[in-house]
Amino acid sequence: MAGPHEIMGMARVLGIGTTEFLALYSDNGGTTLRSEEDGRCVFLTASGCRVHPRRPLVCRLYPLGRSNNERGEERFAVFPAQPDCEAVVGRDGTVESFLESQGVAPYLGWSRRYGELYRRMLGLLDGLDIQGKIDAPAADASAPEAGITETPAVEPSADRSPLSSWQDVDASLAEYCSAHGSAVPKEIDEAIALHLRAIEEWLDDLESRLTLPGDSEGDREP
Amino acid sequence: MGKQEDRKIVTRREVLKLAGTATAFCTSFGFLHGSQTGQVVQDKHFAEYKHLQARWQQAEFKWYKGNELLSSAPFPAKVLKHLQSDETAVIELKLFRTGQMFKNLGTIEAKH
Repeated sequence: MAGPHEIMGMARVLGIGTTEFLALYSDNGGTTLRSEEDGRCVFLTASGCRVHPRRPLVCRLYPLGRSNNERGEERFAVFPAQPDCEAVVGRDGTVESFLESQGVAPYLGWSRRYGELYRRMLGLLDGLDIQGKIDAPAADASAPEAGITETPAVEPSADRSPLSSWQDVDASLAEYCSAHGSAVPKEIDEAIALHLRAIEEWLDDLESRLTLPGDSEGDREP
Repeated sequence: MGKQEDRKIVTRREVLKLAGTATAFCTSFGFLHGSQTGQVVQDKHFAEYKHLQARWQQAEFKWYKGNELLSSAPFPAKVLKHLQSDETAVIELKLFRTGQMFKNLGTIEAKH
């Protein structure tokens, strides 16, 4: 698993942009890192991880696993030791002290911020289903009629295309900054902060078009 | 009236982007879904499963002569899998000679 901030970090270590990174090193719609045929991570070499300084949260957490429910509550559990792993695994210490030693604080922070946006998206999608505010099929001639299931023509490399343009931080920030007449931030932290803000503004806009004064519960007909 | 209706319009493209982004974030960050009750059960199961996995991962049988270790062997994969599957799993250990049970050595419980 790799979020937009992690993809950006790894891309910078490799000296490439996020568009190229997603095309070369991601799978499953840009949500996971590619694996070799034997299951090894694409970045694992004989001398170690190629992107170690900016390795994703899931790698920093190992052997801990983190589960995160829809209310944003986090839980941690211990994964079984892998036979080939050279890491020293013990049960001394606390989850908190382990997290501190792995420098995961900014990663958890970013993950939580993206999680808040994710929950807003779910809320909007839930609302769409009930309120039926999607425009008529005629507005998009290429779209299938409602209720008709259409099997998309899948390209051989389709699973390497991002599911959403927001996953490509460089491209989405270039578009956002061009529209706002501002410069694209160079530093990762600033870029991610702007990326989060851009998504937030996008959701604000969607929300404003879906929430009208008469939409509140009290104003609805019984 | 017309203005208000205009504001309501959200294109299919936007809805697809919204759904695609939610799906991408869900997978990228490992956010779990389900009803509140289902989630609690899922989380509890996840934590228990990982705990059992870790507890029995390096289990071994060891044979001693006094204090001297004569031999050791890891648990067979099938036995390990059973003990790691469920907190209530139990394995009975029986010693056989020429096809006849010689001694019941007792039980191993996953929760221990």
